[in-house]
Amino acid sequence: MDFRPLAELERRSVITALRGNGDRGVALLMDPKDTRFVGTAEEVPDDQVIAAVKSVPCHY
Amino acid sequence: MGFLDTEPGKRRLLAVEVPAVERYNADRAPAFRITVARAGGGLVLSYALMPCHNLYRLETRLLSSYPIVPPETRVLTPLKHCPHLLEGQTVCLWRQGSMRAANRWDASQFTCVFAVTAAWRWLLCYEVWHETGEWPLPEAR
Repeated sequence: MDFRPLAELERRSVITALRGNGDRGVALLMDPKDTRFVGTAEEVPDDQVIAAVKSVPCHY
Repeated sequence: MGFLDTEPGKRRLLAVEVPAVERYNADRAPAFRITVARAGGGLVLSYALMPCHNLYRLETRLLSSYPIVPPETRVLTPLKHCPHLLEGQTVCLWRQGSMRAANRWDASQFTCVFAVTAAWRWLLCYEVWHETGEWPLPEAR
């Protein structure tokens, strides 16, 4: 695939979001239409939780 | 005998998994919806994710022993070899093959859609790793 990299600012934003998610459980928000990363939120209503990754107990 | 052939398995499918997929698909553009097909004693979920600028095709397999055994998610789009990527481009999400006590999959809390969102987060990490060479999250403890 022709990989299109993140711009510097985008990359910083993603790294900050991932670390907030890993360290403090900040929710990562997914666009409900096309699954793009659209930011973070401290709290997510239950009815929107499917579009947010609050805590993924993954092996990394 | 797969989970689709047992009464508890059928109940789980109808009461938990199908509603979760329907909620996920509700506002989704057609190209990003999950499609489900039967495969042996289990199911295969096919879908696409685009966490940043790149589109990835994936499949998540619910094996016949699901939900005791966690789902397996594979990225079909070719990737560069990276950390936390197993044979066949299976993403390492739940310590596959580990003993149940050490496994991070919790069948009482998670659905197949949780595996999809976990893969989405994995892909976000991959996009960062692709440029920096560093996985942005620490190893699981």
